[in-house]
Amino acid sequence: MAPSVNDASPPSTINDAVTENNLQPFFVLQKGSVRKTERKLSGTGKTRRRIDLSPELPKNSENLEDEMEEEKMSMRMEAFEFVWSKIESTIKDVLREINTSVFSEIQSWVHQSFDMIRSLGTPDFPQATRSFPIITDANSKKLFTGLVLTKNMEFVDDLLTFEELGKHLKAQGCHVANLSSLDFTAKNGIGGCLRSLLRQFLMSTLDAADISILASWYGEQNYNNPVVVIVDDIERCCGSVLSDFILMLSEWVVKIPVILIMGVATTLDAPRNILPSNALQRLCPFDFTLGIPAERMDAVVEAVLVKPCSGFSIGHKVAVFMRNYFVSQDGTLTSFIRALKIACTQHFYMEPLSFILRDLVLEEDNWEFEIEQYGLSPEVTLKHAFNLPSYQRVKMTKVTSESLAHALSELKRLQNQWRAVVLCLYETGKGEKVRLLDLFCEANDLESYNRREFDACTKLEKDSVSSPSSRQGPGLIKGGVICEAVRLVRDLSTRQLGKLLKIWENLTVGIMEINGKVKELQSLLKAEDGKSSKKDLIVTPKRHASRIQLNIEDSKSLGDKAAKLLECMVRDYMQPIECIPFHEIFCFKNVDKLRSALIGDPRRRIQVDLLEFQKLLHCNCCIRGSNALLPSMHDTSIMYNLAQEHGDLINLHDWYQSFKSVVLCPSSSKMKSRPSPLPKKRKDINESENRSEASIQARFCRAVTELQITGLLRMPTKRRPDFAQRVAFGL
Amino acid sequence: MAKVESPQVTRRTTRSYSASNDAIESTKPIEPYKPTLNDLGFRQQPLSFEDLLSCLPGRRTQVLELLRLLGPLNSPMFPILIYGGPSTGKTSVILQVFRHLNRPFVYSSCVTCYSPRILFESILNQLFHRKNSGNSYSSIKRCEKPSDFVNYLREALESVIKNLKGNSGKLSSKVSGQPNGTMIYLVFDHLERVRKWDKSSTILPFLFNLFDILKMPEVGLIFISNTSPDTYYFNMGYVEPIPLCFPDYTEDDLRQIFMANQTNRKLYSSFLDVVLRPFCRVTRRVDELSAVFSSLFKKYSQPLSDMGVAPNEDMKRRLFSHLQPHITSALNETFLSPSWPPLLKDEANGETKKKGSSRMSRIHEDFDKIDFHMSTSAKYLLISAFLASRNPATLDASLFDSTGVSDSRKRKRKPSEKSLEQKEMTELELLMKGPGTFPLERLLAIFQCITSLAEDSLDEEESHELTIEGGSSGLMSDVLLQLSSLCNANFIIKGGSCPLEGSTRYRTAVSEDLALKVARSLKFPLSKYLYRR
Repeated sequence: MAPSVNDASPPSTINDAVTENNLQPFFVLQKGSVRKTERKLSGTGKTRRRIDLSPELPKNSENLEDEMEEEKMSMRMEAFEFVWSKIESTIKDVLREINTSVFSEIQSWVHQSFDMIRSLGTPDFPQATRSFPIITDANSKKLFTGLVLTKNMEFVDDLLTFEELGKHLKAQGCHVANLSSLDFTAKNGIGGCLRSLLRQFLMSTLDAADISILASWYGEQNYNNPVVVIVDDIERCCGSVLSDFILMLSEWVVKIPVILIMGVATTLDAPRNILPSNALQRLCPFDFTLGIPAERMDAVVEAVLVKPCSGFSIGHKVAVFMRNYFVSQDGTLTSFIRALKIACTQHFYMEPLSFILRDLVLEEDNWEFEIEQYGLSPEVTLKHAFNLPSYQRVKMTKVTSESLAHALSELKRLQNQWRAVVLCLYETGKGEKVRLLDLFCEANDLESYNRREFDACTKLEKDSVSSPSSRQGPGLIKGGVICEAVRLVRDLSTRQLGKLLKIWENLTVGIMEINGKVKELQSLLKAEDGKSSKKDLIVTPKRHASRIQLNIEDSKSLGDKAAKLLECMVRDYMQPIECIPFHEIFCFKNVDKLRSALIGDPRRRIQVDLLEFQKLLHCNCCIRGSNALLPSMHDTSIMYNLAQEHGDLINLHDWYQSFKSVVLCPSSSKMKSRPSPLPKKRKDINESENRSEASIQARFCRAVTELQITGLLRMPTKRRPDFAQRVAFGL
Repeated sequence: MAKVESPQVTRRTTRSYSASNDAIESTKPIEPYKPTLNDLGFRQQPLSFEDLLSCLPGRRTQVLELLRLLGPLNSPMFPILIYGGPSTGKTSVILQVFRHLNRPFVYSSCVTCYSPRILFESILNQLFHRKNSGNSYSSIKRCEKPSDFVNYLREALESVIKNLKGNSGKLSSKVSGQPNGTMIYLVFDHLERVRKWDKSSTILPFLFNLFDILKMPEVGLIFISNTSPDTYYFNMGYVEPIPLCFPDYTEDDLRQIFMANQTNRKLYSSFLDVVLRPFCRVTRRVDELSAVFSSLFKKYSQPLSDMGVAPNEDMKRRLFSHLQPHITSALNETFLSPSWPPLLKDEANGETKKKGSSRMSRIHEDFDKIDFHMSTSAKYLLISAFLASRNPATLDASLFDSTGVSDSRKRKRKPSEKSLEQKEMTELELLMKGPGTFPLERLLAIFQCITSLAEDSLDEEESHELTIEGGSSGLMSDVLLQLSSLCNANFIIKGGSCPLEGSTRYRTAVSEDLALKVARSLKFPLSKYLYRR
C-alpha cells in the first residue's frame, strides 16, 4: 500500500511512539515544557500508566517490576513485529493476486498496440532521429492510450497498483516509465515531465530535456520493445501540460512507439474535462477496470481476519468502527490497514500475554503452551491469565498451566468452526453483493450470538420441534447479512445449490459434524437430480403443471433443508471470539483507544487540554485540584479559560484586564502581605512594574496569537478593532 | 567528454573559442552514426511532379503556388508563411514538395521544441550532429540567447553551404540521394505555439526578423502556422513573409482523400455517400474524420461476409439502415473509449442490442449508479458543495433552518411581462456566470445540516445496530481531508487563498447529473433543496 502504511508507526520506534506521544494527535503546549514535566515524573508516571492497564499485577517492588516490564515489553514488541510482518505480506499477496488478470489484459493490449504501431513503418536510425514527422496517413499520429479506471475517488490505494503494473510490464520486456501527477505541474511545464521521463529511461539527468533524445535512445535499443508511459492520476495533472505532452508524443509516435497508460480515478469524463479537443483526438483510448475497493477490502478481510493468518483478531466493536470508518469516512484500503496496524500495536502494548501470538504463528498445528520457555515466572503469568474477565465469567477448573493450554487449543478449535461458517455464509451471499466486512461484523457480534442462544433455548422449551413454518431464523437480525444469506439459500435452484454445497463441503473439511451434514444433503440432492432427470426423460413432450409444481416443491424443500443447515451452523458453530475464554490474548477490543488514535479529534483535544491542563502537567501548584486560575498556569490556558466567560465577541480590553489581574493579583497580594523591607526602593519597584506591564502585554499578545493559530479565535478586524471573535464553541 | 561538456558550463562563449571548439568536435573519434549532407534532404526516392499532385488531392493550387514561391534551383526567396486550419495538409505539402525538389531543409516543430533553447539547439543539431549515447545525448552547443543562436547558425550555415557548393561543382558524379542546389531552407512548424512562450515579446519578432539578420541569400525561411497572419503583429519593421493560405478541404476533396488506398472502392464510396455529408457539417478535419470513419466503416461492413463484394441498391439500403443508429451517436461523441478486451465488449453489445440501441441503453442501465467509489461523507460533501454553488447564499437559512422562515414565498403574484423578462435575463446571466463560489464555512455549515438531517431519517427508517458506533459522520478533521481529495478529483475547484485568514473560496465543477446520481445513492432528496428560478 501507500507509504503511509509504513510510516504510520515504524516498528523500530514503536516503543517511543507509544509511550511518548501516546498516539495523541498533538500538543498545544510547547513541547519543551511537556517533556520536562514528563521527565520529572518519568519514574512514577510510566509505572502508574502501566499499572492502570493491568491492575492485577502484584506490586511488590517497583524497580524489579520495571525491569520485568521492560523485558516483557521487548518480547511483546518482537512478537508484534513478527505478527505484523506476516499480516503485511499477506495483504500484499492478496492485492497482487487481485490485479493479475487486469495486468495480463493490459499487457496483451500493449503488445497488440505495439504491433499496430510497427505496422505503420519501422524507421531506421537516421530516419528516426530526424525532426520532421514520417507521414503515412492521418491515423499515424494516434497515441494508444489505456485508461485504467481505479473506481475510487481516493487515489492512495492505487499508487502501489501502478507501481506493480510497471514492474509487471517491465518483466515482459517493455520499457516503462512511471510518471505521477507531480511531474505535470504548471510550474515545471512540459520540461518537467520530459525530464523525469528521460531520467527513468536513460538513467541520467540531462540539462535540456528534448524528446529527440528519447528517439536516439530508442534507436539504440533496436526497436524491439514497446515504450510504456504510465501516468498515475490524470485528475491531478495540469491539463495544459498533459495535453502538450500528448501532442508531442503523438508527433513522435512512429519513431518512438509510446503507449500511454493513464489512471482515472473518477469517470471517463475526466480526460474529457481536462484535455482540450485537439489533444483528445490524438488519443486512441481503451479502458480497463480495476477491482472496486469493496472487493479488495473483502479479499483483505478474508485473508487477514477470517482465514488463519496471524492469530490476531479484532472484537465486534472494533470491527464495526473500522467498517464505518471505511464506508462513511475515508474509503481507502490504506487507512483500513493503518487502522488495523494501530489496533495491532495497541493490542501488543496493552496485553501482557500477547507474546503468545508469535508462537501461534510459528507453529500452526502442533502448538503446545509452555510458560517456562519464555523465562517468565509461571505464577504471575497464570495469575494474569486466569484473572482475565473472560475467564472469570466461565470459572472452569483449577489454575494450572495444562488447563490454560487446553483452553487455548479449545479456543483455536472454536475459531476454526467460526471461520468455516463465516466463509460458508460469504460464499452463499457472494453473488448478491454481500460484503464480507459486513458479514464479519455481524458474525463477531456477541449480543446477537447471545440472543440466538437464548432464542434457541426458549424455542426448545416451548415446543421441542421447531415449527417449519417460521421463515425467520432463530434470533437472526432482520435485514442482517446472515439472514439475507439464509434467505438466499432458500431461493436457490437445484443446480446452484449443488455448486454451493460443493463449496461448503470443501470449506468445512476440518469439522466433522457439519461436513457430514453437508454430504448428506449432497447425496439427497443427487438423488433428487436423478429423479427429476428421469422424470424429464419420461414426460418430456407434455408439460404437466402438476409435475412442475412438484419439482418446485422438491427443490424448495431441499433449499429449506440447506437453509436449516445454515441456520444450524450459525447457531451452533459460529461462536464469536469474544465469548470464548482467554480471547483477550488474541483479540483487540478497545475501540476508544483506536478511535482516539485514528481520528484524534484535534480541535476538541486542544480545547480539553487548554481547559484541563492539570491532567497533563502534573505540576505541584495545580495538583491541589482547585479550578481557580493561578498565575503559575500557562498563559494560553489562562486566556482560554477567561474567554469562556465571553460570548461571541471578546472585548480585548476587558480580556487583557482580567488576564493581568490573574497574573498579577495573587503575587501582588503576596508581595503586599510580605512586609516590604526597603521602602526606599520605590523607584525600582515602579520600574519593575513598568517592565512587568510590558512583559504582560507581550505575554498577552503571544497567547492571543497562539489561540489564533490553533483556530480557536479570530483576530480583530478593521471594522471592529476592539473585539476578537471566538470561533469554537463547546467541545 | 570533458571537451564536450565545457561549452555547456561557460555560458558566454566567444566566437573564436567556440570555433576552436568546433574543430575539436569535428575530429571526434568514431561515432555510431555520422550525419552527412544527405541527411538534409528527404533521403527517399524523389517524387515526380505527377506523383506529387496525385498524393496531395485537393491541394493542387497550393502546391503550384508554393513551387512558384520557392522558385527554380539556387534562386533566393522571401520568407513564406503558410497558414490554414489544423489538418489541412500544410506540413505534408511542405515535406512532399521538398521530397519532389530534393533540396536540403531543416525542419523544426515548435510542439516538439517547447522552448527557445530547445528550438535553437534542435536547428543547430540538425546541421551535422546527432545525439546518441556516445555523446551522452548532449546537444552540439548550449545555446539559449537569440544572439548566440545567430552566430552559431551563421557559422554552421556557411560551412554547409560551402559543402553544398563544392558538391554542386562536381555535379557530374551525381550521387543518388544527394540534395540538389545550394539553397538551404529552414522550416518552422506550429509557429502559433511560439506566441505562448514569452508572450511573443522577443522570440517571435526574432524569428520573423531572422531573414534580415542573417542576410544570407542562400537561406530560405518557411513558417507554418495554424492561425492567420493577422494574429502575428507584423508592423515591426521587417520583411513580412508572403502568406499562403490553405483553406479547409471541400467535400469532394475529402472524398478523394478517403477514397485513396481503399481495397473495395465501390463499397467504400457507397459508405462515403452515407456518412460524408452529415459529418462534413460538423468537421472537415481529416484526422477527426478518419478516426470516426474507420470505426464506422467496420460497423457498416459488419453484416457483409465477403468484403470484396460490390454493393447493389438493395444492399446499400440495408447497410444504411444498419448503420443509421450509429451515425447520430458518433456525431455527438467526440471521445469514445471502448473497453478492453474487445471480445467482451461485443458480447455486452449483443446483450444490450436486444433491449435497444447499444450505447443509449447502456447509459440508461447504469444511470442510477455512480461508477466509482466514494465514501459517504465525501458524497455528502459533494452534495453540499453543489448546493452551495447553486443556491444563493441568502436562501440557506430558509432551506436548512427548521425554525426559520417557512415557505411564505408561496403566495403567487401574477407575473407581469416585464418581470418575466427580467427573470429570463437573470437566468441567462446565471448561465453565463456558471456555478457560484462559496467560502469554506458555508460549505461546512450546509454539510452539517445535511448530515444531521440524513442521520435523523436513517434512525427513523432502521435502527440498525451496526450504525451505533462511529456512525455519526460528524464534523471532524477528516472532512477537510475529504475536501482536498474532492479538489484533487476536480469536483471542487479551489480559488485564491490566504493561508491564515482561511478565506479560500471554492466552486463546484460537478454536473447536475452527477450530483443527482450521488444524491440518489444516498437517498437524499436533492431536488427539494435546489432553488429553481
